Amino acid sequence: RRESEIHRRRKAERMVGPQYDLVGNPLGAVRATFERAAAAESGGRDPVAAFRSKDWGASEVFRSFLFEQGGLDKVPLLDASNLGLIKPNTLVRFRGMVQDMLGNEFYAGAFKDGSTWRTNKFTDFSPFAMPHPCDSHLWERHLFHCVPVPGQNSWTLESSPGPDLRQMANCLTPEQREKRKRDGDDDAMDVSENGNGGSSSCSKKPKEDDVQIPSSSAEMPASENVPQMNGNDHHIPGSSFSCLVKIYDMPESQVKLNDVAEFIGVYTFDPELAAPNDNSDDIMFDLIEDVTAQLPPSKVPRLHCLVWRKLSSVDFLAKHPAVEPLPSLLKGIRQSLLSHLTLVLGKDDLAANCLLLHLLSRLRTRVDVVTVGRLSLNFTGFNRESVSIFGKQLNTLIQGLMPYSQAIPLSIEYLNTATLQPRKDNKSGRLVTGVLQLPQGAHLTFDETLLQSGSLASKGVENTVLLKNLMESQMVEYDFEYYKLEMATDVQLLTLSEGKSNILPSDLVVPFRASTVSAVNATSEELESWRWYLATVRSLPQSSEPEIYQTIQDEMVSAMRNDRSLGCTELSRWLTMAQITASSFGEKSLSLEHWQMAKELERLRKERMQ
Amino acid sequence: ESLDVDAHDVFDHDPDLYGKMVRYPLEVLAIFDIVLMDLVARMEPLFEKHIQTRIYNLKSSICLRNLNPSDIEKMVSIKGMIIRCSSVIPELKEAVFRCLVCGFYSEPVMVDRGRVTEPHICQKEQCKASNSMTLVHNRCRFADKQIIKLQETPDEIPEGGTPHTVSVLMHDKLVDAGKPGDRVEITGIYRAMSIRIGPSQRTVKSIFKTYIDCLHIKKTDKSRLHIEDSMDTDNTNASKSSEDGHVTDKIDKLKELSKLPDIYDRLTRSLAPNIWELDDVKRGLLCQLFGGNALRLPSGANFRGDINILLVGDPGTSKSQLLQYMHKLSPRGIYTSGRGSSAVGLTAYVAKDPETGETVLESGALVLSDKGVCCIDEFDKMSDNARSMLHEVMEQQTVSIAKAGIIASLNARTSVLACANPSESRYNPRLSVIDNIHLPPTLLSRFDLIYLILDKADEQTDRRLAKHIVSLHFENPEVVEHQVLDLSTLVAYISYSRKYIHPKLSDEAAEELTRGYVAMRQRGNNPGSRKKVITATARQIESLIRLSEALARMRFSEVVGVRDVTEAFRLLEVAMQQSATDHATGTIDMDLIMTGVSSSERQRRDNLVAAIRDLVMEKMQLAGPSMRMAEVKKPYLSVHVVCPDTIAICPLS
Repeated sequence: RRESEIHRRRKAERMVGPQYDLVGNPLGAVRATFERAAAAESGGRDPVAAFRSKDWGASEVFRSFLFEQGGLDKVPLLDASNLGLIKPNTLVRFRGMVQDMLGNEFYAGAFKDGSTWRTNKFTDFSPFAMPHPCDSHLWERHLFHCVPVPGQNSWTLESSPGPDLRQMANCLTPEQREKRKRDGDDDAMDVSENGNGGSSSCSKKPKEDDVQIPSSSAEMPASENVPQMNGNDHHIPGSSFSCLVKIYDMPESQVKLNDVAEFIGVYTFDPELAAPNDNSDDIMFDLIEDVTAQLPPSKVPRLHCLVWRKLSSVDFLAKHPAVEPLPSLLKGIRQSLLSHLTLVLGKDDLAANCLLLHLLSRLRTRVDVVTVGRLSLNFTGFNRESVSIFGKQLNTLIQGLMPYSQAIPLSIEYLNTATLQPRKDNKSGRLVTGVLQLPQGAHLTFDETLLQSGSLASKGVENTVLLKNLMESQMVEYDFEYYKLEMATDVQLLTLSEGKSNILPSDLVVPFRASTVSAVNATSEELESWRWYLATVRSLPQSSEPEIYQTIQDEMVSAMRNDRSLGCTELSRWLTMAQITASSFGEKSLSLEHWQMAKELERLRKERMQ
Repeated sequence: ESLDVDAHDVFDHDPDLYGKMVRYPLEVLAIFDIVLMDLVARMEPLFEKHIQTRIYNLKSSICLRNLNPSDIEKMVSIKGMIIRCSSVIPELKEAVFRCLVCGFYSEPVMVDRGRVTEPHICQKEQCKASNSMTLVHNRCRFADKQIIKLQETPDEIPEGGTPHTVSVLMHDKLVDAGKPGDRVEITGIYRAMSIRIGPSQRTVKSIFKTYIDCLHIKKTDKSRLHIEDSMDTDNTNASKSSEDGHVTDKIDKLKELSKLPDIYDRLTRSLAPNIWELDDVKRGLLCQLFGGNALRLPSGANFRGDINILLVGDPGTSKSQLLQYMHKLSPRGIYTSGRGSSAVGLTAYVAKDPETGETVLESGALVLSDKGVCCIDEFDKMSDNARSMLHEVMEQQTVSIAKAGIIASLNARTSVLACANPSESRYNPRLSVIDNIHLPPTLLSRFDLIYLILDKADEQTDRRLAKHIVSLHFENPEVVEHQVLDLSTLVAYISYSRKYIHPKLSDEAAEELTRGYVAMRQRGNNPGSRKKVITATARQIESLIRLSEALARMRFSEVVGVRDVTEAFRLLEVAMQQSATDHATGTIDMDLIMTGVSSSERQRRDNLVAAIRDLVMEKMQLAGPSMRMAEVKKPYLSVHVVCPDTIAICPLS
């Protein structure tokens, strides 16, 4: 008996998968797996109670399809351009940043339809009338408001293109879709019949169930089906697109605000429900209004997430070159990147070296108020003309190298008017984003040459305090109306200014001395290798032998003896620079050689400061 | 009308009943109400109002974030902050209809689940008109209803998360019981309702909306209103210690901490733990954080409670770091560089140095840090204009702004923590403080404590710093020093103490204070010198009182004891020894701070004047009144160089 059970399970596992059109009809697979799992548990009095906040095998099917069988490339990427083309209730991908967390939502997860248990997981609508509450289970899911990553550079979009939707839309006529679904359905029938033999509860399953919703929406004329894009009234400046992601079976703390992630799940849209219903007769509905009410489904698509993963800068690379990051390889790329940086910076070797260290810096640890590893950079000696030449080149280059970057013109007017601070609007219940709501690893370039003498209004003062805080402690204060909450960030900050900037006090101040102006262009292969280099080096683990500790301590002590003005900040910066130098060569541990290089860089810089 | 029932009492009476009440509140509460009505009817037969039981103080309260489907239809208790209130909605309870044909009033019709059924025909025998009934609004009974939004308190939000909210439904008496911004504890029944899209629609949304049907609301921050001169309340730091969440727990913990015999040392160690030595400086800074009591006499005279501290020292002695640390610790702290402080105004000015192109922000730091610590780095670089403002700030604790003909006086109840670099790049031990930092003595005298932080080339310290930096970078931060409070505890400790502890001088302490002060002044009467040297002034006694109050606060003590006064004397002396020591004689001389001239210096000048006068008189006697000025001056050219202001008097005499 047991053997047959195991056999049955295996068979079921084999049957699920390719036979289903997981992309075209993901809910079919979800329901089939659910009914099978429920049938397997049918011995108990309450067979589905065990499935609360737990996966019964559906995510597993998708996971293996996406990552093991290469199904990921077949899943279209949802963005503003193809929102209207994607059919509801199909599998989509969305890459974005968690902009706001909207708490959790309760839904009737499982319910009894006659004698059969059915599920509403991964969808907003039920094709059946809801039964009496006794026969249904309330489950919860978490809602996240996700937006395209602010400052995301165009090259990251090419890294993982989905299939061309226009083509797909053409070749997938409704008839074909219908057929596929029926095929999938039949498979499910086979499985249940084969598996359970005479078990009545499952084989009685009406055939139409799986088809009902998809078909009803597929029959609609496409024009009616297209959600209207209307970006003007959206609260994210410069972005007209966002997505409401519903995540299941996960402690909420796994997702953090400003995380960048890829969500793969079911895109749902029902034009019937999207229409505003003014004739709500119950006053209660108006009062206990939902945050989601302000995110109309016609503008903000719903995505019921089956599988998700956090993205780091490595994930944005076009191909994952399966190369071991060997020092010899990295050294070569470092050299080519450095010489390119030197060209971009008008043959200023010192500035190029500092810029490289800056681009490779990341926040390592945070002890109390001290942050370790960051290296913000301030190029001085710029004026409006040189900014228009070198600043522009620099920006183009950074855009080509970093996954997310923004250039901010720091003028009095900007400081007085821009909304830098994210703010919770308690009226609407949403977090209104600000410029400083940024993902980890974002890059900001401030152009301070635009700053003229002038008065700052109170907003300007608040903004400068925010910027200063970000510079000094990598913290951004979010305004929650009745209190402020500090959020940790890891943002690289580059300032171009005339003299040393006191508004944005950087770690490293380098007077910029360009000698030539040359237009330089990098090939796309070069850019690709540099991106790979930056992403790899930044993620290299750092270890060190205890011997080096002592040497460096001695070095520091003797340096302090020679120059009494050296303090904790300077020495700490030296060590940061040395460490980044070491990893820039692909070395996992710091050696005295790198320490000396950092010191030499520092000496040259000091010379120039005088 | 309602009757509040403490759930703890229910539990003590019958734990089983308590369990049933929490699990099946709808049923159990209905029974409670019936029993209650019965009792009332027995006690007062004429009492006709409906009376309701309101349960409060459940044995366990749940975090708003952790509400989940299994809590539906159960009684829950949650704490949070009200962020929004709806307007009051009248809800129909009983409807009365009137026949349009005959004017017959129907019996009151009860509202059943949000619906009221209109009678189809007039009930009057003679009329029987159909579809003639109309609602009479002013004869219906309505009840108040309100919906509020409750949000998690900041201390319950996990890192990298945003606060959750829940809707709470309030009835009758509970309406308007809380205002937005209030921290409350709510006991109620967690409910969910399905969303009907409309009667015509086929599909059903499977989503449920949840809310809490409120039974009882308790404000948790009432006590705050009674505290006057507390630190700012809507500040994150302060609110961490305020009375919500696991408040009582936290306060108990703080109180326990305060009872430790070595709490003073512990606090000292916890302040900027990665800066070593400078223990006495840290003690002084601690006193500043805790602060003394501000006093306003009925006569209108003000005594400030804030302690001002000046740090003077060599570059690279982690002064700035101390300042930064203080800025983190103090609620509403402001950190500014003296180079860019214009002292007044709520706006700021961006100035650009014409030579270097450096941009500088001139901000109105002092007003903004009302009731906080204003940290001013590079105090010596402050413009004279801004500095003159500080006089007023540091003594009167106000800032006057003249705008459009109106002089406004703004509160600036701030402690000033300033740090200055010597005017030469290093501190010259042969010169006085005044000469080292070009600050007017009038301003200097307003600092309670002036510390000199000199960089003594000390390999030991250097090595320690180097070791610290290295360990910071290699991700094995030194084994955490034992018995050190972490930052948040320290902040909580300080703000709690500032809020609730207002120590008074005990008689013994007052006596000790007088004795010590007299002793201090007497020390000036050196047997060797003829003239009296002032070693202490009335300003010092005020400082001493503030310091000892702050020290008592550190122990959460309501009484300033003798030991606080002794320690305050010690702190003051340490600071004075560093800054007010006259280097010519090696004694403490307050004149140095008060006027910038030590009394030994003054005596030397006096002697010089006398000697010159003697000489001049002598010469004049010899040469007669017609002697030329040049001749008089000639022999004393060397004197001229040494002491220009003294010689200037000479020709006159």
